[in-house]
Parts: sequence; structure tokens; C-alpha cells
Amino acid sequence: MNPFISTMYAFWVEKLPYITIAVFTLGMALRIQRWLSAPKDHHLPKLDIVESIKYIILDVVLFRKTFKRDKLTWALVFAFHGSIGGIIFGHMRGFHLWSASIFDPLGHWWADWMIHTLPVYMGWILIGSTFLLLVRRIRLEDKQLHSLVNDYGALLIVLIAALVGQGMRIFPPESHEVVEYSVVFIPKFIVLHLELVPSYHWFHWHVLMTQLFVIYTPFSKFIHIISGVISPALYGSRRKELDI
Amino acid sequence: MTSNIQENIKAALGQFSRKQLMELDTCSHCALCTEMCPAYNSSKDSLHAPGVRTSKAVKLYDKKFSLWSKIFGEKEITQKEMDDLAESAYHCTLCGRCRESCPFGFETHELWIRIREIVEAMGTTPENVARLSNMLDENMNPYGQDPDTRLDWSFYVDIDEVPEEDEADIAYFIGCTTAYKGANHEVAFSISKILESLDVSWTVLGEDEWCCGAPSMMAGKVEEAKKYAEHNVKMLEDRKVKKVITGCAGCFRSFKFEYPALLGRKPNFEIQHSVEFLRDQLAEGKLDLEKGDETIIYHDPCELGRLSGIIKEPREALSYLTSNQIEFDENGIDSKCCGGGGLLQGVNNDMRLDIVKIKLEEALAKNADILVSACPACKLAFVDGAREHEIELEIRDIHEIVAKRFGVLEE
Repeated sequence: MNPFISTMYAFWVEKLPYITIAVFTLGMALRIQRWLSAPKDHHLPKLDIVESIKYIILDVVLFRKTFKRDKLTWALVFAFHGSIGGIIFGHMRGFHLWSASIFDPLGHWWADWMIHTLPVYMGWILIGSTFLLLVRRIRLEDKQLHSLVNDYGALLIVLIAALVGQGMRIFPPESHEVVEYSVVFIPKFIVLHLELVPSYHWFHWHVLMTQLFVIYTPFSKFIHIISGVISPALYGSRRKELDI
Repeated sequence: MTSNIQENIKAALGQFSRKQLMELDTCSHCALCTEMCPAYNSSKDSLHAPGVRTSKAVKLYDKKFSLWSKIFGEKEITQKEMDDLAESAYHCTLCGRCRESCPFGFETHELWIRIREIVEAMGTTPENVARLSNMLDENMNPYGQDPDTRLDWSFYVDIDEVPEEDEADIAYFIGCTTAYKGANHEVAFSISKILESLDVSWTVLGEDEWCCGAPSMMAGKVEEAKKYAEHNVKMLEDRKVKKVITGCAGCFRSFKFEYPALLGRKPNFEIQHSVEFLRDQLAEGKLDLEKGDETIIYHDPCELGRLSGIIKEPREALSYLTSNQIEFDENGIDSKCCGGGGLLQGVNNDMRLDIVKIKLEEALAKNADILVSACPACKLAFVDGAREHEIELEIRDIHEIVAKRFGVLEE
């Protein structure tokens, strides 16, 4: 392999994860500092845990409000968020947060399907829905919305990360064998373990893009992944307060 | 542009609360709220879309407060940016419908008022809205009417005397749109008749009643609103009232939600919208009325329903008044706005009349005999809209239906 590419790939897998974690942490600290530097709110509803969880599930997970009004748009946003959620959940297995054995009760065929086949479908759904959301944004631009640069930046990162991730799955692995392959973000704490080495080039580009996604999160619209649960929790509590 | 203005704008931008700033940062500009917005649906102008308002606001905030601006220096906010934000902020009825389509449930009503405060700091508040402030200063009402004519409505209706007591259990806070707008004089009359028919001690404030402050809040003048809150609460507490009722959704919302925040304390009296009071009296059998059979369709005023949670009470009250109650397709928390709020009338009355037409036509299509609401601003919008679009439909406040049952109001 070209030594430059080889060095670059090694950097992405061995050194960049540390930078990713550092930038993400710093970015989140800056974002939280930005919010805390604003004046306190006068009247926040008393947090009601049950109502908060209810409206987080209804409005953020299931997109109740969109479903009520526009089924087609709902299908699109639900496909996008559902597939990205499923894919992130799948990646957690690589971080040893869960194991494939949870699907054992389903039987061998289904367990295998859940682990090896479903993620490929999820990938296609994510690519398709991200592309359509991008088209939707372009079509509505200057008519119903004025996007900021990072609105497009966020969608493009997801689309490219999904494309290279899917390439990694559908193209055959390289021939060289590696018994254990790990991407270390924080030693002995956040480590991605791979049981199979996927298609080499696609894999490294996917590692790069997902790290860019993580780095970009605190500075972009991706922040709604984190902050997006706070507003519906307050919304639910407010509804309770008003007895609606 | 003077650096003084830029400093004022920066100070106003710095007033976004923690939650509001988080909401601005969280907004994905997805446009899921756009189709729900009555102003956007009327004009199809992207500047009137709620999500565009957040894009504009966060862009301005970042010009003054982003990490980038801290490192490389703040950027100047241009005249065009100021004009665009003002155009966006005031082409809004403050109906809160965008909140009900936002997956995150942002409290947009408060957010848009904060943006109007910024517009005020920029000096780009629309002329008619700015003029409102002078009228309020001079006359304590937004209509420029002499304060001593506040009870003149009673001359035009069949009522002997409106009590102005030094002390009473209940105070009826009439509100400027009811007191000064001819279309609503019978609302004040009807509520007075209901109170008169009950064995309660009640009073009005007369000239001591000032505007509730809602127009000032909506014009982004919070300090001005505080002056009205302080005065009205003092007048009511001096009269040792236990309960204040008002037939105005805007006044009700001000008393219930804005006054505690403005004054830093809860007033020493209970506040009820008169429709809650009416429902209670009907449920307790204190008003024995004959039930009619007109087809009545109820419009939820945004400030009363979606923004204050008074949704079931008017329907329960109506169930004592008619056996034939029908609903708009979208009602309760999802109710479409009538266009009468947010000071839109002063900025773009054509848009207001365009918005109200949708509701009037739906009421007609559903074969309603009477379109009923519980807010003088809504009634005024419906009356103006029906006249403008030549729509024949009886438009009433819910209390007027009671007065009709009493036999003191013409059919």
C-alpha cells in the first residue's frame, strides 16, 4: 500500500480518536458555558418525570406531531432518525455495551439476521432518507426555511458517513487476517472492538467520517441529539401544569 | 450605524434566557412548523415562517456572542438584518401553533416576544406598534380613548349601574378591547348581567382600570408592561378582592402568567377567566337557564386554550346552553388562530382579515348557526372578517349566549 495512505489510515485509527474525544469534550463544555452564560429563566415548569418521558417518547422518538399532520414527511423523518438510532445502537455492540447473545432467544436464523442483515437494510434506509431530507431542504430553501451553513454540513456528514459505512459492509473484506482490531478512543474505557475486519479503505474512511460527526456535534445542529430531550421534557411538564 | 445602537442590540440579544438560547441552538430549521403558521400560510413569504425567525435570531446572536466573535471580533448587524427580523417578528399572531408542530415543543410564544424586545432595541419596531406606546402612556389603553370613557359601554346597553365599590369579593376586569370596541360592549354587558344575577359582591375598577400590559409585552416593552401590572394589582389589592374575573383571554393570560414574573410575586387574589367562572356557576346550578338548540361552534382563543390550558371549561359551559355543539376540525390545543392576536392588526390588517376568513368559512361549511368564542380580540376579528368577506354568520361571545337565555340580549 502507498506509504502515505498507510500512514494516514494509521493516524485516523490510532491518533485521531484521542483528538475526537478531546474536541468533543471541549466543544460540549463551550456549548454548556454558552447556555449557562445566558440569564436564568423566570418561569420554568416544575419538572414532571412521567410527563417528560412521555413527551420525549411521543414527540422526539415517534414524531407524534408530524404524524398528526403529514404522514409522508413523518415517514421520512422517522426513517431517518429510526435508522440512525438503530445504527448507533448497533455500533454499541462494538463498544461491548451489549452482545449478540441478546438475540439468541429469537433462534439462530433471526439472531443472525438481526446482527448481519438488518444493519445493511438500515444503512440503505439511512442513505435514502438523508438524501431525501437534503432534497427537501433544497426545495424548501428560501420558501419555507433559511438554512444555516451547518444545516447542510450536518446532513452531508451523515450522508457521507452512511455511504462509506455501507460500502464497508457491501464490499468484500481485504484478504489479510487480523485476529483482533480495535479503535481506542479512551484506553480501557471507550474502545471499538471489531470481530471482522471489513473492506479496508471503506472502513478507514468510515472511521474518519464518524469521527468528524462526533467532532462536529457540539458546534452544529447535531447538538439537538443532546439538547433535544430537554425541550420536550419541559413541554410535557408545562402541559401537566396547564392540565392539557 | 452608531456603536451605541450595536451595544443596545447586543444587550438585548444577551437577554435570551438559557432555555431560549438552547432552543435557538437546537432548532434544526426543519420547517415542520411552517405549514402550521397562520401568517406564513397567508403570505407564503419565507420571512414570516417561524423557523426562519430562529435562523435570523441565532445568526445575529452569533455575530455578537459566538466563540468566533470572541476570538476574531464582533460583527456589525446590518440594517437589512434588522429590518428582516422586524418584518418576521411582527408578521406573527403569537398564537403558539408553531409550538404544537415543533418536535421539541419550543415555547415559541415567549421566544417571539423576546425577539420583539430585540427589535425594539434595534429601533425597527413598526410605526403603528411604536405609536401604541404613546397612546398607552397618555390614556392607559391601546386605543387612544379618554380613560374616563372606560365605562361608557354601559350607556349603550340596558344596564342600570355598574358597581364601583371600595371593597368587594369579586372584581370584573373588563379589558380595553371589551370596554372600547363597540363590537364587544355587549360582552361587558353580558358578564355584568351574569354577576348581577348572582348573590355576590362585585365591582369594576372604572377609571382605575388600566391596560393589562399585554400590548406592551407584545411590543417587546417589558418594563412598560410592569408599570401596568403594578398599578392594576395595587388597585385590586386595595379593594381587597378575593377573585378577579376577566372575559379577555389576553388580560387573563397577563394576570395569570405574566404578572407573577413581572412583579416577582403572585398577586393576593385568584384570577379566573369568566368562562371558568360561568362554568362553575352553571355546574353548581346557580344559573338556571333553558337549553337552546342552535348549532354552536366554539373557537378556542389561542391565549385561552393553547397558551393557558382553558379548553374543556368553555365546552362544559356550552353544554348547559345548547344541545347542539359542534367542533372545528382542528380544535383545543390544535385550534387554528383567528388572526386577531399579536398586534397583527396594527401591522398588516389585510393578513389578519385573510387569516380569519379560513375559520369563518369552516364554520359556515359546518352549518353552524352561531360562532362562539371567549375573547374580545377574537370576536372583533370575526366581526371585521365577516363584514370584509360578506359572510352571514352570527358571531357571539359565550357570555352573550347566557344573556340571550336571560332574555336581556336581542336574538
